[in-house]
Amino acid sequence: MTIPSDIRDLYKNPRAILSQYKDSGAKAIGYTCSYVPEELIISAGLQQYRISNIGTSTSALTPSFVCPFASAVLENMFKLEDFFSGFVVAHTCDPMWRLYDILKKKTNKPLFLLRVPHNTDNELSLEFFKMELTRFKKFLEENFEVRIDDTALFSSIELCNENRNLLKNIYLSNNGDKYETGALDRFQLALASMWMPKPEVIAQIKALDFHNCRSDNNVRLHLNGTSVYDLDLIKIIEESGGFVASDDLCTGSRYFWSNVEKSNDPLSALAYRYLKRTPCPSHGPLEDRLEYLSFMTRGFNVQGVITFAEGFCDPILYDSVHIRNMLTKNGIPATLIDYENPTQEIARIKTRVEAFIESIGG
Amino acid sequence: MSSQRERSRVLQSTRKIGELILEYFSKAWDAKAQGKPVAWITVFTPVELLRALDIYPIAPEHFGAMCSARGLALDYFQEAEKKGYSQNLCSYSRCGLGYVLSGMSGLMPPPDILVTFRNSCDVYVKWWQSLRMHLGTPLFVGEAPYVLTSDDLDNYVLDYVVKQLEQLVNMAEEKFGLKLDMDKLVEIVKLSDKASELWLETLKLRRFKPCPLGGRDSASDIFPLVVMQGTDEAVKFHEELLNEVKEKANKREGIIENEKFRLLFDGIWLWYAFDLIKYFEDRGAIFVYEPYSEAWAYRLDASKPLESIARKVLAMGLNLDIDLRIERFLESIKEYQIDGAVLFSNRSCKSWSAPQLVTADTLSKEFNVPYLLFEADMADPRQYAEAQIKNRIDAFLEVLGER
Repeated sequence: MTIPSDIRDLYKNPRAILSQYKDSGAKAIGYTCSYVPEELIISAGLQQYRISNIGTSTSALTPSFVCPFASAVLENMFKLEDFFSGFVVAHTCDPMWRLYDILKKKTNKPLFLLRVPHNTDNELSLEFFKMELTRFKKFLEENFEVRIDDTALFSSIELCNENRNLLKNIYLSNNGDKYETGALDRFQLALASMWMPKPEVIAQIKALDFHNCRSDNNVRLHLNGTSVYDLDLIKIIEESGGFVASDDLCTGSRYFWSNVEKSNDPLSALAYRYLKRTPCPSHGPLEDRLEYLSFMTRGFNVQGVITFAEGFCDPILYDSVHIRNMLTKNGIPATLIDYENPTQEIARIKTRVEAFIESIGG
Repeated sequence: MSSQRERSRVLQSTRKIGELILEYFSKAWDAKAQGKPVAWITVFTPVELLRALDIYPIAPEHFGAMCSARGLALDYFQEAEKKGYSQNLCSYSRCGLGYVLSGMSGLMPPPDILVTFRNSCDVYVKWWQSLRMHLGTPLFVGEAPYVLTSDDLDNYVLDYVVKQLEQLVNMAEEKFGLKLDMDKLVEIVKLSDKASELWLETLKLRRFKPCPLGGRDSASDIFPLVVMQGTDEAVKFHEELLNEVKEKANKREGIIENEKFRLLFDGIWLWYAFDLIKYFEDRGAIFVYEPYSEAWAYRLDASKPLESIARKVLAMGLNLDIDLRIERFLESIKEYQIDGAVLFSNRSCKSWSAPQLVTADTLSKEFNVPYLLFEADMADPRQYAEAQIKNRIDAFLEVLGER
């Protein structure tokens, strides 16, 4: 298979790689959310591919007031359906949950709903989630006529851990008050990691040199939100005098922050990692999210926080009230910028970003 | 004349609901004064268990519906919005949060514990977390995973919910020094089961033509099943209601005189616009089945109280797989001889509204049931385009008339 010459370009047209998978006979599994363990898909000999919201409009099958991100992901699932051998949806928030309902009525491809417990802080949830992962493993085995043994699982865990380590090390190069790696580079690699075969993406990341950041005097920002696939949103921050020093996006640090621990029981280890990882706004105690945000803003010496909110994203919209209250108390300026279609609204978003950066001395 | 006609469309029993609600909230203040813990709950949490623990449950969702029906919600919405809660968030939650942020001087006494179960939507959790942030009150978040097949009502999914109920009991016992009395729980479960049985029997009488219980009744009569489950009062209310409806059915008395169209209504009612029901009825259309009103009744087995309550928490309507939900739609279409479906796309309830179009599509394409889908909000009248909705109702009824 031909791998893009520069994996940093892949985000511009992520579907290009799907044709390559199809032509080479690789079976791609489309998944929607970073709570889905890629390790299980890979251990079944399948190719993981996280479905984004880019390159399409929202689906006509959802009402206008449902999260446009989830709706566009759904639309992409239909548009790209022929490239996939199956879909995995995770119950994180209401719209993502209901994608499953809609897909169930509209696709003939194997479809799995992973029920991710909201409570991330107790043993019962862990036990339950392990049962869900066992069910997921069985789904893969039955639908794709494979057997996933512990050796395969340990090997895919190792690969994914290595991938996460690389991404995290690059990320940590900006800690304290350092300006080592531009955010655009970081996000490009995280996204490529969700779309490409792990050995290739690992090899290419290792071959890259990132110590070329030219944002030295820019205002250090933390980016709060859910998923950002449209990297123009990152570009406009950098162009407006900002430097995304840290983030808690599921297309960013939440994807790779923690690793699967070594264990004799790989499914338990996976359940632990995916439940205890940095929580999505839809998951876990709110206090944990606030604590994580504080940890990031301190660790990366952040001067301001931007929240990018997809219109109608309930978890972000509730949390944003408490995040703003906490940051105000800590003397950190914060702003919430909401949008429904970032491509169409980019000029408005840029004006908001510029005004915010100016207001904190950028 | 018009007021007589209006009255004829609401059952005598339904008229008592307003008083029952006020009395229920007033007793919450009494409980608080007596030192009993008051729980703020999301609906479809295990009321029976709280009652057996001597915790008084009240539901801010009720409060939101009631404020909306009485035109009192706007001030609360605005208070919440002023503090940063987006207008795109659930209107019940904006009403409840606005109540808290404006000082809680009203029907609901401040909570001693916040209890929610994530079953019908994830908003419950975010709303309850927000309440905790404002009030600092202990919070219990339970969850009932989506029921994919009926097997989940017996396997590890059920087990997960049962164990969470035990955790809730432990938390309440530790926080308030209470002790769960199993004999009391069994009695409460029996009462809850009885009220559900009565309500299901009442709903079945809507199969009669003309239909003896209308949409205005079913929207209100569920109240005792929501927070009063496990009380004598709830059973008494539903006994009286059943008797009244039976009598009407026996006399072949309908809610409307000239019943032309029998409709299914999918959604929560628009609490500020009960007159919309009358608009349908004035045109010979009556609602004979709503998944919403049926969802509150669940038969319990007093010999297995915790397991039975866990099944109830799991099996609430929206938490059942789409195929199970559509199956029930189709049964009801036959059972109640339904001519068409009205689906309310509720801006506040994304969990309910998101898959409505595919449901409607299935009803229409596979089972030839015409439908009307309209958008508004259940409690916020600012999202209500009355004239446009009424136009669409006219067109829909015209289509039904031509079939």
